[in-house]
Amino acid sequence: MAHRECTGPIYPTSFGRRSFIQVGILGGMGLTLADLLRAGEVRSAGGPPRQSLGKARSVIQIVLPGGIASQESWDPKPEAPIEYRGPFGVVKTKIPGVVFSENLARTAQVADKITVVRSVTGRIPDHAQATYQMFTGYLPTPAIVHPSIGAVVSHEFGPRNNLPAYVAVPGVPPAAGTGYLSSRYGAFEVGADPGQRNFRVRDIAMAKGMTEDRFDRRRNAREALEDHFRRAEANPAELDAMGEFYQQAYKLITSPEARKAFSLDGEPESVSKLYGDYPRHSIGRQLLLARRLVEAGVRLVTVMYGGWDHHVRIKEGVSEGLPAFDHAFAGLIADLDRRGLLDSTLVMVTSEFGRTPKVNENAGRDHWARVYSQVLAGGGITRGQIYGATTATATEPDRDPVTVEDFLATVYKQLGINSEDRILAPGNRPIDIVRDGHPVDGLCSA
Amino acid sequence: MRVALLLLSVPLFAAGAVPAAPKPLSFRLDVMPVFFRAGCNQGGCHGAAAGKDGFHLSLFGYDPAGDYYRLTRQIVGRRIDLAVPEQSLLLLKATGMVPHSGGRRFQPDSEYYRTLLRWIREGAQDDSAGVPTVTGISLVPDKLVFSGKARRQALQVVASYSDGTTRSVNNLALYLTNNKATADIDGQGAVTAGKPGDTFVFARFAKYTIGAEVIVLPPGRFKWPKLAGNNYIDGLVWSKLQKLRILPSPPASDEQFLRRAYIDIIGLLPTPEEYRRFMRDRDPQKRAKLVDALLDRDEFNDLWAARWSEWLKVRSDSNSAFGTDRKAAAAYYDWIRDQMRRRTPLDAFVKAQIAGTGSNLQNPPVNLYTMLPQGQYDPKEVAQDVAQVFTGMRIQCAQCHNHPFDRWTQEDYYGFVSFFTGVKRKMASEAREFWIYDDPNAPPAKHLLDGHPVPATFLGGARADSPGKDPRIALAEWLTSPDNPWFRQNMANRIWAQFFSRGIVDPVDDVRISNPPSNRELLEELGRRLAAYGFDMRRLIRDICTSRVYQLSSVPNDSNRDDASQFSHQRLRRLRADVMLDALAEVTATPSVFSAMPRGMRAVELYEGGFRASYFLKTFGSAPRDSVNTSEERFEPTLAQALHMINGTTIDQKLARSTVVAAMLQSGRKPSDIIDDLFIRALARKPSETEMKKMMELLGGKPAEKQGYDDVLWALVNSTEFEFNH
Repeated sequence: MAHRECTGPIYPTSFGRRSFIQVGILGGMGLTLADLLRAGEVRSAGGPPRQSLGKARSVIQIVLPGGIASQESWDPKPEAPIEYRGPFGVVKTKIPGVVFSENLARTAQVADKITVVRSVTGRIPDHAQATYQMFTGYLPTPAIVHPSIGAVVSHEFGPRNNLPAYVAVPGVPPAAGTGYLSSRYGAFEVGADPGQRNFRVRDIAMAKGMTEDRFDRRRNAREALEDHFRRAEANPAELDAMGEFYQQAYKLITSPEARKAFSLDGEPESVSKLYGDYPRHSIGRQLLLARRLVEAGVRLVTVMYGGWDHHVRIKEGVSEGLPAFDHAFAGLIADLDRRGLLDSTLVMVTSEFGRTPKVNENAGRDHWARVYSQVLAGGGITRGQIYGATTATATEPDRDPVTVEDFLATVYKQLGINSEDRILAPGNRPIDIVRDGHPVDGLCSA
Repeated sequence: MRVALLLLSVPLFAAGAVPAAPKPLSFRLDVMPVFFRAGCNQGGCHGAAAGKDGFHLSLFGYDPAGDYYRLTRQIVGRRIDLAVPEQSLLLLKATGMVPHSGGRRFQPDSEYYRTLLRWIREGAQDDSAGVPTVTGISLVPDKLVFSGKARRQALQVVASYSDGTTRSVNNLALYLTNNKATADIDGQGAVTAGKPGDTFVFARFAKYTIGAEVIVLPPGRFKWPKLAGNNYIDGLVWSKLQKLRILPSPPASDEQFLRRAYIDIIGLLPTPEEYRRFMRDRDPQKRAKLVDALLDRDEFNDLWAARWSEWLKVRSDSNSAFGTDRKAAAAYYDWIRDQMRRRTPLDAFVKAQIAGTGSNLQNPPVNLYTMLPQGQYDPKEVAQDVAQVFTGMRIQCAQCHNHPFDRWTQEDYYGFVSFFTGVKRKMASEAREFWIYDDPNAPPAKHLLDGHPVPATFLGGARADSPGKDPRIALAEWLTSPDNPWFRQNMANRIWAQFFSRGIVDPVDDVRISNPPSNRELLEELGRRLAAYGFDMRRLIRDICTSRVYQLSSVPNDSNRDDASQFSHQRLRRLRADVMLDALAEVTATPSVFSAMPRGMRAVELYEGGFRASYFLKTFGSAPRDSVNTSEERFEPTLAQALHMINGTTIDQKLARSTVVAAMLQSGRKPSDIIDDLFIRALARKPSETEMKKMMELLGGKPAEKQGYDDVLWALVNSTEFEFNH
């Protein structure tokens, strides 16, 4: 019942949303001896950013929310009985002996550049909880709200080239918040849909008629007010967070190069074509914008696309949205590679879980967290690999299971972040970036 | 650790009158608690809806008969081996002797192992029909205060049974703490004190959860000063602060109080004229006078109509086919605002909605049954929303299993749903009009487990005995009765949160045993007062706003800096999106324009809320009204907000259209006078000397031109001080 309706409380929002005005709510969770004795570095929240030394310098995180069926995408089961196999055929890929679902015909042609992890194992087939886990590496708990990987990357490396460190095209769900980290590490949501013809990110250019001189005078006047308030109210946390956003905003507004990264106007027709043009699906333009952003210096771009919760008529649902993704994703990989960016840009495709091995009575599939597929490419990830496998009916991992924690730990490792490091949350409580996650060596070639 | 465990472990049958004679172990009383304690039936393990690795136990043991079946009969001989009990897979898995995804849950020499083994040796019998059930648990002591050297204290968990016996279940209960740093609790129920503070620890056993408050006092000497109080609120807050050795901040200045009260009570800033009048007033009662005056303002009604419309999901979208359309949303909103204007007591206000019958256009409160579902009617969803909005409790977990962290069982859940199973919505003759009525012959909701019908039952209470009658009438009476603590306390808590941006139970719509109030006495007293005032919320607000607690400064001292829950100081609170936009309109005297709305309408008056009405309102966190969760409203700053304030059309257009400065220039006022006035408009204070100097520089030697003053205004509305209530 519950899984069919997909309702229930959305955990992480229950107290995370006001965390900014309640700095200190988590206060008083001290260090225990056991915490101190464990390995890994403890980093203070809000401390100086670290140098990025990993193979991957930036990340494009593509999220297919709702739980896409691996059977209809990365891990088809052509040999299985029809009720398991599902409605689609398969297509050969660039990797000898490996097939994808026919929905991924273009991606099959870049299979030699990516790694498909067919043995990801989740734990809870519930949208809210699994989405939270996909973004943070943790299951929700009432005690603390964890930051999403985007927020952690933003915290660890900070902004570059006057651009926000973490951008979402067009937005992120509540589960991908900043958790115990300050909201300053949150995603800059472009809001507008890059698929729209007149797409323009709002408010990043100076208003008409404004001169730089006058703009500076305004800024100085505002500073005088901030100084006064800081002395009078002595509440640095709120002032600092507001100040941080204003600094970021000023940098973005006054840097033409930075602003250009947010515009698709300069892209030649041929490149747009590479990503595909589907009137009702924005994914091509979303990924093109993501590429521009990481090229210009954004550390992590989250791209959300479609809804894959196909409890009924999975054939129609998948046929509607997947071809545009196939086109765009294959285009992105080829484009990054051509520009020599694939080795420094890690691309991941994730979904909060997979779908039941058997097609149900409504010609759909229900939630299945026991095993499903996710994809990694670039940033030192092995090219042309199928990692792990599922049993004949895609019910269980057959070999090399990769937990959600392991998957994220691997991404962190490629970025040069030891996921065993701990960040000092409010109340001097050190929290592992990912707990019990082990980077999977078999996924990385460098 | 090991030593402590031995010292504290309590024999299984230590307390109470359970006979010591060796009688066969019971599946329900002895075996199932082991699964509970060892975590076997948790949601992440075999308690998951589909079980784990082929074996399913009901979550936290809500279905004993099913668990017995699955253990002994589902695959006969697999899990239990009666011939060689030690070889039972159940025991081998639990002790990790064979591969087990869940690892080793306990040792072969543990009490838990011995219990399971003995039960299997005795034939793995099911219980007879009359087996006693757990009727409750208690914690002794239920309040702990640590001071000085003592850092550790054991709690006793005692379960009571339906046959009148009791039993110590320290070994079988599960424990949790709301703040590990202040009070940690181990697997036997021993509490260790940590950092100074106030928190709760909990024990769970069977379907019960119970908490004990733990206070850890800071070291050193502490002298509580003599503090005056304006009313009972101060007494109750001071008394808690004294216990915790926290000193409150000093009172806020008149300027701070004025701005705070305006924003919180009517959602507007004081005008320069109102500012001057208040500052001139020498009456020692002037703050109370101001509160009374603001409570009489019509904008007070607008603000509360907006709040209620958020909580009740008033919006239209495109679900006309289900009665959720503009006409209905507008009629509902107008009705809500009208009730605020008429000062309808909260109990009558809620009753009219819950028990409403008739046309949703002629009798708007029945739109509770169009707006909460936002589409197809589902009695479960309506029951959940009604419980959450009016009692603050979330019962939805109990749809599929007994609530793990609260008192609610599936029986409670489906009994509550049955109040709404008879509600019908039928298309009327007028376009978009729906009849809402109850069919008293509709069958009640069915229990998920075995499908037995559960008649309408008040939460945690009696059956509503109303055959042939609309059960919602009895529900409305029960819910809003002055004797119902849940309603009166939830209403009081929601009102309180408006003035502190934090509930005494927080969030205000997550009331449960494991989320207790930070000051129980205060919450109970506010609830009692609200009921005694005949549910007139203005009287309670008057108490709150005239208390010293509300009027404290937001500047913390050394003792209260870390306090976020005891109201020892006010805090910087971000303005609501609609209030902020209205404040911008007020400062510049330039009303906002919303599509399809009359000119001059304020953002707070938008009947469907701001989320869909304006980029500004959405970006600054207006609630989308997709759910009744109060967390839909967001307050944290974002880069998009900063960009919009700096560069966006909202401020740009308001500055361009504003005639405030031009009018003052025309009437020949001095530049410094004008700047004073702008400061008062935006911040309800005059500029400091330094600020005045800076602002004069902005005028750039052209004090007769508007542009410089526009820059002053820009700086004012972009300041943190403007965007926050403090």
